[in-house]
Amino acid sequence: MKSIQEMTQAELCAFVQSHLREKGINVVLSGGAAVSIYTANKYVSHDLDLINLYSVSRRVILDAMKQIGFIAEGRYYKHPASRFLVEFPPGPLAIGAEPVKQVSEITCSTGILRVISPTDCVKDRLAAYYHWGDQQCLVQAILVAQDQSIDIQEIQRWSEVEGKLAEFEHIRVKLVSDRR
Amino acid sequence: MMLQPILGSANAERVLVFILARDEGYATEIARFFETDLSGIQNQLEKFEVGGVLVSRTAGRTRLYTFNPRYPFLMELKSLLEKALSFYPEEAQEKLRLNRRRPRRRGKPL
Repeated sequence: MKSIQEMTQAELCAFVQSHLREKGINVVLSGGAAVSIYTANKYVSHDLDLINLYSVSRRVILDAMKQIGFIAEGRYYKHPASRFLVEFPPGPLAIGAEPVKQVSEITCSTGILRVISPTDCVKDRLAAYYHWGDQQCLVQAILVAQDQSIDIQEIQRWSEVEGKLAEFEHIRVKLVSDRR
Repeated sequence: MMLQPILGSANAERVLVFILARDEGYATEIARFFETDLSGIQNQLEKFEVGGVLVSRTAGRTRLYTFNPRYPFLMELKSLLEKALSFYPEEAQEKLRLNRRRPRRRGKPL
């Protein structure tokens, strides 16, 4: 297996997730790192947000991460040979008010990466745009929509549930234009 | 305190009810309002932020907390808090909802 230093973001994430799964800790990648992976690093995030699905205690995570050489620094876990930071935001795995029901799996040489789907990734970014007006997150949503196959009807339905249908209609064209 | 058996602490209820009533709050004003220890309120605010229930931003030297609009149980939590607040004595409800947020000119006499 590759050394941690040589691992790409996705490979490192798969490695950490596989190790945690062996310890009974289930996490799913969300946030900016999912955008990085789905856009082949057009957007770069060095944070790996691994959503702690079933609220495993910090002590259990700390022990498991120590076994693969990660050190806790505040909320983050660092490895001396890696530039990526790992964080475990609390579950449940949700986009807005709805639970995430389907998770994508990507096989890497270092293990299986479990990550929110491209459609949920777009919704996740749009949630930050809708609720906080975060323009960077809108750009990230558009990048994912351009590079990946997404379900625009589902995003519309979800936006309506979030009470943001008007905002969705405003940006819809940006999500569906320039699709590859 | 109405929800202490569920939330596990009086400070948890104080923080959430205060933010429900005023939309936002900071540790000193919440502690002062409930005449309680500041560090207990600060710890509780931090716990809720780590748990994704609240988010914070700084305004000058003050850290202001609001509900996290992305918290998946926010609507249900607010309903519960609204109901709890309706059981508070009327005077306490009015005091909680009394909220001076408009600017006050520096040096203005009372």
